[in-house]
Amino acid sequence: MSAVVSPIREPLITGNKTYHQITEDLCGPTEKAPNLAWIIAFIISIAFLTFGVFCIAWTIWFGIGSWDLNRTIGWGWDITNFVWWIGIGHAGTLISAILLLFRQKWRTGVNRAAEAMTIFAVLCAALFPGIHVGRAWVVFYFFPYPNTRGPLWPNFNSPLLWDLFAISTYFTVSLLFWYTGLVPDFASVRDRAKGFRKKIYNFVSFGWTGSAKHWQRWESLSLILAGIATPLVLSVHTIVSFDFATSVIPGWHTTIFPPYFVAGAIFSGFAMVLTLMLITRKILNLEDYITIAHIESMNKIILLTGTIVGVAYLTELFIAWYSGYIYEQFAFYNRVFGPYWWSYVGMMSCNVLSPQIFWSKKMRRNIFVTFVMSIFINIGMWFERFVIIATTLARDYLPSSWSWYDPTWVEIGIYLGTMGIFFTLYLLFTRVAPVVAAAEVKSILKTSGDQYAGKNAHSHGHGHGHGHHHETTHKVEYDDTADSAPLSAATPMPETKVEEVTEVVEENTMEKVVEESIGIIDDVEDDLKKIEGIGPKIEGLLKAGGFKTFAALAGADLDAIQKILDDAGPRYRIHDPATWSAQAKMAAEGRWEELQKWQDELDGGKE
Amino acid sequence: MKENQEVLFGLYDDETELLEAVKQAKAEHLDIMDVYTPFPVHGLDPILGLEESRLHIAGFIFGALGTLTAFLFMTWVFTRDWPVIFGGKPYWSVPAFIPITFELTVLFAAIGMVVTFYTICGLGPGVTNPVLDERISDDKFCLAFQTNGASNDSINSLKGFLQRTGASEVHQKVI
Amino acid sequence: MNKQFTFEGKQKTTLIALMVLGLVCMVLTWFAGGQFAHERFWTNFLHNVAFFTGISFLAVFVYACKVLAYSGWHSAFKRVMEAISMFLPYGLVFMLIIIAGNYLGFHHLYHWTDAAAVEADPILKGKASFLNSNFYAIYTILVVGMWIIFAYKFRSLSLQEDEDGEDDNFTAYRRMKKWAAWFLPLGGFTSAGIIWLWIMSIDAHWYSTMFAWYTTASWLVSCVAIIILLLIYLKSKGYYSFVTQEHLHDLGKYLFGFSVFWTYLWFSQYMLIWYANVGEETVYFQDRIREFPVLFYGNLLINFVLPFLVLMRNDTKRKFGTLGFVAVAVLFGHWFDFFNMIKPGSLKAAQHGHGGHDGGHGSEGGHDHHGELLIQQGTEAKAQFMGGGGHEVAEHAAEAGSFFMGFDIPGLLEIGTFLGFGALFLFVVLSALAKAPLYPEFDPYIQESLHHEVEQHAPAEHH
Repeated sequence: MSAVVSPIREPLITGNKTYHQITEDLCGPTEKAPNLAWIIAFIISIAFLTFGVFCIAWTIWFGIGSWDLNRTIGWGWDITNFVWWIGIGHAGTLISAILLLFRQKWRTGVNRAAEAMTIFAVLCAALFPGIHVGRAWVVFYFFPYPNTRGPLWPNFNSPLLWDLFAISTYFTVSLLFWYTGLVPDFASVRDRAKGFRKKIYNFVSFGWTGSAKHWQRWESLSLILAGIATPLVLSVHTIVSFDFATSVIPGWHTTIFPPYFVAGAIFSGFAMVLTLMLITRKILNLEDYITIAHIESMNKIILLTGTIVGVAYLTELFIAWYSGYIYEQFAFYNRVFGPYWWSYVGMMSCNVLSPQIFWSKKMRRNIFVTFVMSIFINIGMWFERFVIIATTLARDYLPSSWSWYDPTWVEIGIYLGTMGIFFTLYLLFTRVAPVVAAAEVKSILKTSGDQYAGKNAHSHGHGHGHGHHHETTHKVEYDDTADSAPLSAATPMPETKVEEVTEVVEENTMEKVVEESIGIIDDVEDDLKKIEGIGPKIEGLLKAGGFKTFAALAGADLDAIQKILDDAGPRYRIHDPATWSAQAKMAAEGRWEELQKWQDELDGGKE
Repeated sequence: MKENQEVLFGLYDDETELLEAVKQAKAEHLDIMDVYTPFPVHGLDPILGLEESRLHIAGFIFGALGTLTAFLFMTWVFTRDWPVIFGGKPYWSVPAFIPITFELTVLFAAIGMVVTFYTICGLGPGVTNPVLDERISDDKFCLAFQTNGASNDSINSLKGFLQRTGASEVHQKVI
Repeated sequence: MNKQFTFEGKQKTTLIALMVLGLVCMVLTWFAGGQFAHERFWTNFLHNVAFFTGISFLAVFVYACKVLAYSGWHSAFKRVMEAISMFLPYGLVFMLIIIAGNYLGFHHLYHWTDAAAVEADPILKGKASFLNSNFYAIYTILVVGMWIIFAYKFRSLSLQEDEDGEDDNFTAYRRMKKWAAWFLPLGGFTSAGIIWLWIMSIDAHWYSTMFAWYTTASWLVSCVAIIILLLIYLKSKGYYSFVTQEHLHDLGKYLFGFSVFWTYLWFSQYMLIWYANVGEETVYFQDRIREFPVLFYGNLLINFVLPFLVLMRNDTKRKFGTLGFVAVAVLFGHWFDFFNMIKPGSLKAAQHGHGGHDGGHGSEGGHDHHGELLIQQGTEAKAQFMGGGGHEVAEHAAEAGSFFMGFDIPGLLEIGTFLGFGALFLFVVLSALAKAPLYPEFDPYIQESLHHEVEQHAPAEHH
């Protein structure tokens, strides 16, 4: 992590956080009683889960005949749901591993929750192969072990067995990766807890102390796990795609399936991460850690992967025609114009067309639009799997065996049940562990906190050319004096005093810090745009004219400001700076509420 | 042995102060017991003189073990133990063995490395290590010296060092 | 810091000498290239043009990705990427020659340009609305033309940053982002068609949905290798002191990672075709394994085994010697990969063109006997591919399968031609590099890039 940050980057942590504040915000939710929204959501999830368990029991008791599968369509909602869940399970490791390798710092805000989501989604997915074999009680036949049926081994040449290995491995590695990341945060919770809670968290935090050597190994471990998890993510959905592509079924046997399935999985995984994070950040008040910048980055990935999936759809269509192979051509004709045409339309419109809305920055940064889009994509990706599986099977080589398939209530119930399982586990997770990786967020605070990066930072890193250690020290120096000045006493303090100080720090707003630091650092600039009537252009003019801070502007002569505007040309001459210095005075003194009230009355900065 | 470890430690409020202090301690040849931080501090390892972690070697060995296990096992099953022709393919179908071989390579490497990590760090379920200060996992950066059998003078000079380098609190503890 | 690259006379002379060598090799190929000398000449031409033009395209593509992904550390050497993209117009000019040949028939690269063959072949007839000289010409000109526009736009906006100087709004960069956002989907969609037309259609009957992405991955690895080699060379000449071991370490990771990615795509395509065992598809690999084993296995050895084993360790990515060696090997390896994609199919086409029906064995040659034969051949191919049976076919193959230098393996003439084209490519790149400062002083990320550090490496290297 280089300490030098481009001035063009947006901050990833807002609200002028201190380290302690981060601990408070992120560990806090595990310590309080759940709020009403959580309880309602939990009850609903449990209800779905219960119904799902009932439907699974029904299936096992009465057999697979309780589903609508038939001789032609042997895979229906079961495998559709399986692939859908596995796909969703891809974003977690992708965010953690690939974004770690590609140095995308915004991953720290969402990786913990995304990894949790991965684990729960893989659990839901693994359920389906288990029950769709019919005799769930002999499901252990899947595994190779010395057995009493003669030395008979499972078929290692079968993609379905590859799948078993891929998914077990993926689940295990994701779990290890996730848990290792959690250990330091569990230690934070442990050190804040009392009594029985402390015992529990002591157990799960494995005796973590934060020793330098441990951190070094921990980082090394995370990086290597990320390194091997990256090809692992690719392999899992690749192998899922082999389930189809190794066959000779037209529409299934196509060589682009592996990378195309992976892109689709990332696509749907990010959509689900967005769905969850938008809710989580609202309920747990994590807007400072999962910022609009995070959401925008994820929307960009959605747009990118949606487009890749689009390229794959069109490639398939084109090559089906190009192959000159009539069965292949028919398979694709059937997808688009066959009896299940609506699922193809659903897939195309939700996955390829609707994400195009994210070309607009405004839409990418709109939370409501993002939420709706994330749901759309979840639906679209479900349709994609349905198109590939059921639509293709329904019209096979032999027209006399063509068939039709509708899910029964049992199949729908199991699908809803997996939703219940997923959300129940996720809701429990938000209660027991910090939803955002606290230690990792702390480690990027000095580079990505809004007091250090972005346009409201205390100073710009642009144009300096020294070593980075020096640079960090420089920044920290005045930060210290600004917001933790009371802590700098060299003598030990009693516990109570620390608490007091904490509160002071909490109250500290961005503006206060700026204000306090005015006297210390000469080149501090304020955001003059906060004054009604001043836009970015005029702000530039004023700063060029020497009015860089609220204080400077407050003491400015009206004529001097007018002259700056007049000199800048007719476009600026029309502005009326009469109220600016009075507004600036309020800002400089930190009377923000008063200023806000006055600005509401003002019309474009004029009385 | 652990019970009578006497520790003198200073708590710093910021990682840059800690880095400076550790640098000075090294320059003054003080014997640092350990440094505890709430998050991995960039640039601390070289100052402390920590050698690069060799976890990746463990990962490589476990991974190679996984590769061999998977590939040799499938080879044995399909060419010696119970040869079966699937889909007209040869008994020894290398392309079909690759997916499982890859998966087991990753699985062995990951499990092996994680187990190695917790073992060499002395961490694990139920392990309780002494915590010098509960705020170390929050926002304090701790530099600790062991003072077993140290004279009052040297303890005082260490105390002086910690205060001089900007520690906001200095404590003594027996763990 | 030496910010301005000068393209010295000595370097120019060396490159021009190499170009002359390439030209001589091409002339020699034409007049003394063995039985299929003219086919050999034209395939060499297409092979090198497609290879270097693709690398140039990938430089634009990677550049657009860098801009969109807020990537900071690439900034220090972004001028190298820009310079590589400046080869695109030359690529288009060369492609115009191939296009002219499609019409005038002075080469026989593509079986589908033979009107009589198409008329007699229902499969080719079915594809005729895509595989025809007009579409080939229009598509190539429009698409490569569009890439050129983007390449020049990125270049000019990057130079504008220098002109604008200290600009707190980063106007040029922000405009570049808009162009980059358009280029990703446009480049992504259009490149597939280019690959189908230029390369996949040589094996005119064969198809694979993966092929376009597979070829793109090959270009990508080559592009990274060239960037690494240029940086190491320029550093050795005293330029780019601000591009450190750290940058090259990360580029080394790219070289490693994308080589593995290429292998992943290779394996997926091969394994799926092997597994499903559909004759129309297996024929492609079956031909290569049986008749071009050096190409088939060599491809995997150079492009997977070598970079995987060497670059797996951290320290090899930080040593310029080892990294440079792997980059050279892999660059050659992917050139070799393109050789493997282009030559076998065109040898069949040539044998067909010259020797009538005799040359056919389980592939292109006999397709004018209509679909029935095709299916029969498919079955034969399948039998061979599975390693059992197929005696007659094997004998048949042995009869026709004499060794052709320049098709079965690259001969000295091919290496010479490669060096010639490579020299021209470098000449263009270095000229472009000399036209602007190497150091993009006003790139918004330049400070980040200068302070780039790879996490996790030995403390000894740290200070």
